[in-house]
Amino acid sequence: MITTIEESRLLVVSDVHLGNPLFRSRRPFLEFLRYALANDFSVCINGDGVDIAQTSISRLTHDLSESANYFGKFARSGLRIYYVVGNHDIVLEHFLDDWLVVRVVPFLNVMSGATRIRIEHGHVYDELFVAYPRIYSLFTWLGAFALNIHPRVYTSFEFLNTGITMLGQWRKSWGKREPEPETIPGEAAYFRVAAEEVSERGFDYVLFGHTHKLGQVVLPNGATYINTGAWQHHPYYCEIIDGRVELKRVPTMEEAETTRLSWANLIERTRGR
Amino acid sequence: MLKTLATGRGDQVEEFGDGEVIVREGEESREMYVIQHGSVVVTKRIEGREVELARLTRGSFFGEMSLLESQPRNATVRADGHAKLLVIKPGGLLLKIRRDPTFAFEMLQHMSHRIRDLNDRVAQLMHAEAPRDNVRVEMAVLQASTEFSSPMARQTQAGGVVAQPPRSTRQVAG
Repeated sequence: MITTIEESRLLVVSDVHLGNPLFRSRRPFLEFLRYALANDFSVCINGDGVDIAQTSISRLTHDLSESANYFGKFARSGLRIYYVVGNHDIVLEHFLDDWLVVRVVPFLNVMSGATRIRIEHGHVYDELFVAYPRIYSLFTWLGAFALNIHPRVYTSFEFLNTGITMLGQWRKSWGKREPEPETIPGEAAYFRVAAEEVSERGFDYVLFGHTHKLGQVVLPNGATYINTGAWQHHPYYCEIIDGRVELKRVPTMEEAETTRLSWANLIERTRGR
Repeated sequence: MLKTLATGRGDQVEEFGDGEVIVREGEESREMYVIQHGSVVVTKRIEGREVELARLTRGSFFGEMSLLESQPRNATVRADGHAKLLVIKPGGLLLKIRRDPTFAFEMLQHMSHRIRDLNDRVAQLMHAEAPRDNVRVEMAVLQASTEFSSPMARQTQAGGVVAQPPRSTRQVAG
């Protein structure tokens, strides 16, 4: 299993959740792959690219079939698709290997120019996932149940989860004189702590997904922690070109339709926003 | 050592200047190091000669053998240019793995790679038609490198998964 790579041009996305009706990411993801291919970027799907835990095989197949056709084109162009396993696709750990078209890995250490980047989904740092796996599985199952009732029921479920996390952060910081180190809004502080721990091993950037909370924080040791969020509310991706790492917004299909611009042109327009 | 810094997480970071010795062969120290910036050179004295075993760069680690086995240092490690290293003390390895579980995965991956590499080199040397003296020195280097990754190597050999290279090594060297 090869987990250390060199890439001069790489795009990183996380939590695309193909197959999940709430995300409706089939078309945007297809356009994203098309954009990457046209601009000579390899692609890293940083976990939960396919939502095996909360969707049916038929939905998954429907969302994945066209994208899968693109995977072969990447290989023929000398580009790669890296798939980092997350928690909603954890069964893919059975397929950790280099499958020529897609390389399935538990994490990636990327050298781009002189910059060293760590890409990991981040679920192994989720205290609930590690300490209470059964409760976590129950929540995942309840989430799938909520999705089957209506995606909005699932959204309220997620909203409640964010509320509980923020309440927990507020309770921890209550009465403390020293301000807590900066974290990504709505994300439990232990993800930032984990990113700092990993970065101590000589990484300039640490990229996580998992929490669906988009943002970036400069860590006390000078490294940067980025969470690329999810493709549900804020479709973003990370662009890596010769060691330069930037978080960028993915335009929605609605935006592309209303502005009558091609999706790829819209990406150019949204650069740096 | 140029300076020692404490990280916000209670770990220690040490900086070394070019050519400075980080660990010396035979020394009784137990720390393990992860290279944050720069690179290091690993050398060993074999038959009066200083032989370079490896050159390690950013993200690599060394010193795990002394930490895991409580044995004296097997090789000398020097900074190659300015080097900044994260220090993991014997009492801190389990804590490090608990806080950064993939570090254990990477350590195993690294050691597994070393064993595979050494097995290949043993096989190559057994078939080499090199002058006998060269083979002897090569074997000594190989033995040193094998010790460099000994915990896993011994386990694998004890499990009978691979052939017994040390015995063959002695036969060729003798």
